[in-house]
Amino acid sequence: MTSSSKNTWTLAPHQHQGPHKEVREDAHIHSPEKHNSNFKAEGILTFMGAPYCPPDRHRIREMGAKICFLGAPWDQGTIVRTGTSSGPHGIREASSQYFSYLFEFDVDLLTFFNVVDCGDIPIVPGNNELSQQYMCDYVTECLEGGAKVILVGGDHSVPIPGARGLSQYMSRNKPDASMGYLHVDCHLDAAVDWAGIEITNASGPTETLKMPNVSSKNMAHMGSRNGLNPKDWMDFWVDNDMPIVPMSEVIERGIETCGRKILDRAWNGTEAVYLSWDTDSMDCSIMPGTSCPESYGLNARESIAFARLVGEYGVDVFELAELAPIFDVSDISAKLACNLIYQYLGSRAATLRSRNEEP
Amino acid sequence: MNPAKAYAHLFSPLGGEGADNYRSPSHISFLRQPFVSLEGDDLANSDAPYVFIGVPFNEGSVGRSGSEEAPLAFRVGSLDYFSFWFEFMVDLHKTVVDAGDLPLPRADPKAARERIYNAVRKVLAAGKIPIICGGDRSISISATKALSDHLGDDKKMGYMHLGAHLEMADNWAGETHLSTNAMARITELGNLDMANCAHIGARNSSNLKDHVDLAKHRGLRFYPMHEVLDRGVDHVIDEAVARVWGGTDAQYLSLNLNILDSSAAPGVTATETGGLESRELMQIAKKISDCGHISVIDVTELCPMTDVSESTCRTAVAVVLRIMAGIQKVHGKTLNESLRRPGWKF
Repeated sequence: MTSSSKNTWTLAPHQHQGPHKEVREDAHIHSPEKHNSNFKAEGILTFMGAPYCPPDRHRIREMGAKICFLGAPWDQGTIVRTGTSSGPHGIREASSQYFSYLFEFDVDLLTFFNVVDCGDIPIVPGNNELSQQYMCDYVTECLEGGAKVILVGGDHSVPIPGARGLSQYMSRNKPDASMGYLHVDCHLDAAVDWAGIEITNASGPTETLKMPNVSSKNMAHMGSRNGLNPKDWMDFWVDNDMPIVPMSEVIERGIETCGRKILDRAWNGTEAVYLSWDTDSMDCSIMPGTSCPESYGLNARESIAFARLVGEYGVDVFELAELAPIFDVSDISAKLACNLIYQYLGSRAATLRSRNEEP
Repeated sequence: MNPAKAYAHLFSPLGGEGADNYRSPSHISFLRQPFVSLEGDDLANSDAPYVFIGVPFNEGSVGRSGSEEAPLAFRVGSLDYFSFWFEFMVDLHKTVVDAGDLPLPRADPKAARERIYNAVRKVLAAGKIPIICGGDRSISISATKALSDHLGDDKKMGYMHLGAHLEMADNWAGETHLSTNAMARITELGNLDMANCAHIGARNSSNLKDHVDLAKHRGLRFYPMHEVLDRGVDHVIDEAVARVWGGTDAQYLSLNLNILDSSAAPGVTATETGGLESRELMQIAKKISDCGHISVIDVTELCPMTDVSESTCRTAVAVVLRIMAGIQKVHGKTLNESLRRPGWKF
């Protein structure tokens, strides 16, 4: 099935290839006629059942993909428990339990965005710099292909190469423009270095602020709480005059007000935004499947509300980090994480549609 | 951390040969703080106001076993936290020492109860605040008796319990010191006036009729979950705090983790639906710490073997640390905000 004659994007789940293939063009948004279709049938497992596209700017352009899914099966940057390297697989598997049609927004995400899965970024065991360079290059490649990126970690050092990828893309294509950066997390993650190392999951925001097109006036943090926040992490945000929106404020003022506060800041005068969203910003009762589960966090409703709010504003890279399926129960964490991406995309589609804009 | 830098533990580690991995200390103690012995002069020589005591005791349980594993898991959970709490600008380093786990006999609950009682008496006699990590809920009977006797007849005690069960069985198959007898025994203590007692969170059907009858007979003010939901956590906790802290000389906080909803605390012995969310428990912690003082904290019924992703252990640790940090703040024991990591450039 092709969404538009201009490009080569084709939806071809393996269940639609054999002797009992569904023949209707839009079979995937209706109840199936012949079998269970690609619902809960992994086949070649991709995010959302989207077609695979090599992470190559030309191929992405040819296919007309506007959303590239990239996995970063990486946990060599963590200072806490490992297990997040299985995050991308967890999300893909969870997505096999959902349809791409979202009734709340009356949109088929697959065909609206020509979603493609660009696979997982290859990691070099033992070589952290090279691994992060690959992450940066793959993000850049998707952006150069004209797509926005869904980047799923991996530990929360992923924004270091991820934001660098967006920064370098911006420097080449819009040298005068700046970009915003949002960090939604239980942890302030602002170590200038951790025991001398600058590329751990404690240093996403600090590394991002070093990038030439990033200014502190477009950075903000939301969701912080509890006692895994050394003082220098707090000092980084305070000394650079960047707002911390702690959980107490989110509960008191509401997720909509707080979400708008940081999104407005990120988009103020910028032409791109990187969202780095750690699953441990969510309460451990709804997100046990994370490397560093924490109480007193966002509940599921607040998380979904925020995902939809982000869809209203849009971001260039939507990154979700620290999903650790090995600690999950009954897939609740992976399905929530997957649903947040879907709700973001649904809201984004509805927003663009209401403005008569293409993705 | 580098001992040459007195405040180094507040910050990200500086690195080098002496850099430690905060999650892998050389010994596993509560919040990486030093061990002390309850014998000898250790306690008297310590400046720390709090003393952590592990009570790996499960023989008072009438339900699921497993809480004897809690003290170790609680300590491991504490390794994922630092002593610095940015929300309070408070450093808990050196505010607590770890007295280890009490050596308890097997299959001799009477002797075990005596040891628990004696240990809590020792800590109180040294002028310290015990943080007692059970173990099943029955340990509160011995520990509360210790506070009561420590105070003596002339002083008044306040008692707050957070939990799903009334635990008001006068006897249970002839036994009188099981977890299910806890409130029945505690409400008999001479210097605990029912006007200074509050029980929050009762719900569901592990609360037998004789438990409710005895609670009413003794005048125990219990706020069942449906009342908490109807009136809101803030109203109920304000009222309960006023009872327990109003005009009393000492206050005992007893936290059975099944106050939390089973989704927020799967790792407890008797999970119960319809309970508090973690943010509501944190709000209660705030109201308690706002009082500025507490005499004993116990945490019971944590059950690591049914926990999920260590989330219940970590939640339990976070509540205790939050109360400690809040109290430090009330006393103005906050850090100089201008302290910066050595070599700080921003």
